[in-house]
Amino acid sequence: MAVLGIDEKEYFASGHRACAGCGEALALRHILKAAGEKTIVAQATGCMEVVSTPYPETSWEIPWVHCAFENAAAVASGVRAALNAKGDKETNVIAMGGDGASFDIGFGSLSGSIERGTKFLYICTDNEAYMNCLALDSLIMTKEGLKKITEIKVGDEVYAFSQSTHKLVLKKCTGVFDNGIKRVFEINTDSNTIKATGNHPFLILQRNGKSGKNQFVWKMVEELKVGEEVVSLKKGLDGESFKFNEIEESKKGDYKVNKINEVHLPEKSSEMLMKFLGLYVGDGWSRVEKAEVGFALPEGKKGRNEAKQLVENLLWSHCLSESENELHINSINIAKFIDSLGFGKGAKNKIVPGWVFTLPLKEKQAFVEGLMLSDGYKLGKSNRYVSASYELLRTLRLLLQTMDMRVGKIHQQTKERGTLVVKRELLADSTYGYVCFSGRKGALLKYAAQNRQRNYLFGNENFETKKIVSINKLGVEPTLDLRVEGEHNFVANGIVVHNTGIQRSGATFPFANTTTSPAGKVIPGKQQPKKPLPFIIAAHGAKYVATASVMNLFDLHKKVKKALATDGPSFITVFVPCVPGWKIDSSAGMDVARKAFETNVYPLYEIEDGVLTLNQKQDTRKGVEEYLMMQGRFKHVIPEHVKKIQEYVDMRFKFLEENNGKKIFDTLF
Amino acid sequence: MSETKVISGADGVANAAKLCRPKVLPMYPITPSTLIPERLSEFVFNGELKSEMIHVESEHSAASALYGAYAVGVRSFTATASQGLALMHEILPIISASRFPAVLAVANRALSGPLNIWNDHSDAVSERDQGWIQLYCESNQEAFDTTIMAYKIAESEKVLLPVMVCMDGFYLTHAYEPITMEDQTKVDEFLPEYKPLHFLDTFNPKTFGAFAQPNTYMEFKEELEKAMQNALREIIKVNSEFNKKFGRSYGNGLVEGFMLEDADYALVAMGSVCGTIREVVSDLRAKGKKVGLIKLKALRPLPAEDLKILCKDLKSLGVIDRHASIGFGGALTNDIKSALAEEKVHVESFVAGLGGRDVDKKKIVAAFFALENEKEGYWLK
Repeated sequence: MAVLGIDEKEYFASGHRACAGCGEALALRHILKAAGEKTIVAQATGCMEVVSTPYPETSWEIPWVHCAFENAAAVASGVRAALNAKGDKETNVIAMGGDGASFDIGFGSLSGSIERGTKFLYICTDNEAYMNCLALDSLIMTKEGLKKITEIKVGDEVYAFSQSTHKLVLKKCTGVFDNGIKRVFEINTDSNTIKATGNHPFLILQRNGKSGKNQFVWKMVEELKVGEEVVSLKKGLDGESFKFNEIEESKKGDYKVNKINEVHLPEKSSEMLMKFLGLYVGDGWSRVEKAEVGFALPEGKKGRNEAKQLVENLLWSHCLSESENELHINSINIAKFIDSLGFGKGAKNKIVPGWVFTLPLKEKQAFVEGLMLSDGYKLGKSNRYVSASYELLRTLRLLLQTMDMRVGKIHQQTKERGTLVVKRELLADSTYGYVCFSGRKGALLKYAAQNRQRNYLFGNENFETKKIVSINKLGVEPTLDLRVEGEHNFVANGIVVHNTGIQRSGATFPFANTTTSPAGKVIPGKQQPKKPLPFIIAAHGAKYVATASVMNLFDLHKKVKKALATDGPSFITVFVPCVPGWKIDSSAGMDVARKAFETNVYPLYEIEDGVLTLNQKQDTRKGVEEYLMMQGRFKHVIPEHVKKIQEYVDMRFKFLEENNGKKIFDTLF
Repeated sequence: MSETKVISGADGVANAAKLCRPKVLPMYPITPSTLIPERLSEFVFNGELKSEMIHVESEHSAASALYGAYAVGVRSFTATASQGLALMHEILPIISASRFPAVLAVANRALSGPLNIWNDHSDAVSERDQGWIQLYCESNQEAFDTTIMAYKIAESEKVLLPVMVCMDGFYLTHAYEPITMEDQTKVDEFLPEYKPLHFLDTFNPKTFGAFAQPNTYMEFKEELEKAMQNALREIIKVNSEFNKKFGRSYGNGLVEGFMLEDADYALVAMGSVCGTIREVVSDLRAKGKKVGLIKLKALRPLPAEDLKILCKDLKSLGVIDRHASIGFGGALTNDIKSALAEEKVHVESFVAGLGGRDVDKKKIVAAFFALENEKEGYWLK
């Protein structure tokens, strides 16, 4: 069944682990549709190979073989020879690799296979480089408070560490992307826990002894050692009382509402309300359907009187009813209000919602006091808070860190079945966790020099250095990362982490920022031109060479079919945008690819039997700047570079225009 | 009809490979294995052997194309040495883990550093961890025969492991000896067509070379270990079948004991140096010395049990080692010492003939006397 000439059948099954918006996966799907089921694919090691075949799963509905990184073409040679030996002249042989596998390490085997006239099609999926990430449960400090990394949107302002002033700054998030499922490590300080992939950079203090200058350097997780010092957030920006969203209040006469206590709902947060909410998180529940908010506060338990006092301060006393073990606030609207605040429902599901992180210090402290009244207790000079909700403890820990408190790690304990809890026996074993925290012993600023030994950022209002106490290897998880303007770092789970990087290849576009060709102070990104691989292969004498792009799938289909019909070796490079690598949004791939075509950065052409044909006719020529500014990997580029890039693009395109229609190479016999 | 000709060892192996009807021949030349691809090219270009020859641009690609051919399910063959084998290093464990029963002839030559084209075992012995069966040959005839046996061992259902047929560079490849080359019909009877269970097939698509995470990787390697244990039995079986069919055998296929009956001392070695040691042992025996030779044919799987039996009544054993694992002495010695760790026999190491330095009778006799006088082993220079 074909739709617009494209086979409906899928040969690349869904369920593979490619990033959302991955150009390569899209290209693969269509290459296989164009090739059909009588195809064997020999794949090089790379993104696609890894995301598509995590044993025991596979996405490939056609016979597929992977061997190593640099030898897809050689393996394809062997496959073709064996098919010939078997008398099979029908089956297509396609070798596929990324730009690393084709331009660089696999160049030799590619050249040899072409030179020998092997009947196969080599496709290079070109995303112009060779990636790294954070686990999906990371919590990011933003201006609007703590958010899950999955909730961050482009434009959100996040906390960042200024590498020049060592101050806390707010920077815009300019990209969020899904990096798929990767192996993660867990890095722990005595107060932070974060999960990241092995090649994710963290900001580490490099002490250079008494004579050297201490400096901050980026080090990858794989290189970190226990004892190394990371930069960690200790106090957030002082915030403002939070203005609540209006909720839809119930009125007398609404369905099932016969009687109603008129109540005043607070418009913004206050110390009183926060203390009340702290108490609620520990001991309270809300039931809108019963129009009540309740507290499990038996007579004699501390907190009961405090709760009553707070209810009075909040002008809700007329709703209050008491019993021996509980307090009830009978108001449907208060119940609705509390539900809207995001604390979660049920003992195991409570959390500290993000907006609490934006409050002024005093309100946060009131909230913590409320928590302590319900499920906390003092142990000497330290406070301990207990909860059955792990997420609550995790978010509380992060909140305390923004309050300049010393916080320990989360401990777990189990209460056995039958234990008495609030006058009731537990019906099953119940696991609780607790976290310890205390106020800081203020060290005197006059002893700064000594204190800098322990905490290099001593005296810094918002950050401190903390020693890594353990690094554990964990399993594989879905991962995400953020692109942050300016400082290129953000605060995740309290630790300053880098946004992602990629390594340069021979196919990397000039001036692109990659981790091995970074946009540095002295050298602004990759300085070499892009290796003209299609021409090199055409010079070998291959009868069909073409460039294609995911932004024109019909063209790609046509080219694949033409290539497979060639009697001899054929070669296609396909332009495939890479979301994390190019630092673009996962929805931006097609736009970027289209812009590349419109600006002549990636022209589409064919070299058939040595004759060059340009596949495009442009009436207006768009300037490369339009293409460059869409991507984070070029954000450092200044007008001087743009000029050089424009010259480079123009020069290459001029060659194509001047030779359009001409025979520029001899072909293999 | 089988015929006996006086030809070089490399020539013999090329002929043996031809008799096994390989369908794909990815080839890259390197001294001293070069004659093998040259002779095979003659066969193909003259129409004597119907095979797809791929003149790859490097040994890495030779191993890769070999892998690709086996993935499609056809019997293939290639040959290399020294630096070429080292360049194949990345692909070797991939071939064994994929359970492709490939056969690779290695013309043992010293690994560079410094560059040296002459014979020692550093190339193949360095690769003994990669899951390939390794069989060493003493003579040209043995190299010829082992090539044919190699396919049968490799393709055996319970084994399905690739095999390296190791022959000493120059000493065997370039030396002329009479070789009885067997009849094609007889070889076809001994070695039927290769029919694999799994191969790349558009009618039944399969994925080869998926990536395995920590929770599955170890089991793949465990399977290789089990297959190697099966190989111990299979090698013995094939050796015996070969004997029945062609009238030649090599010890039990794994090891051979020579004049060991009441020996107090023995020398153990692999490859062509065993020929020299045989002469030395005969001479010493004539002088009343109770000494014997243990010729080790299979380095992997290492026939530990057979070695234990052969060394049961020995006082000490001298290993003539053709590769040193820098930092801990003779590589073969350490394997053998491990195998014999709980036996009474005392083992001494004599590293000899690195980079093609001649291992003559004098040196071997000296080694024996060192053994007899309970002296420490040393490099036979």
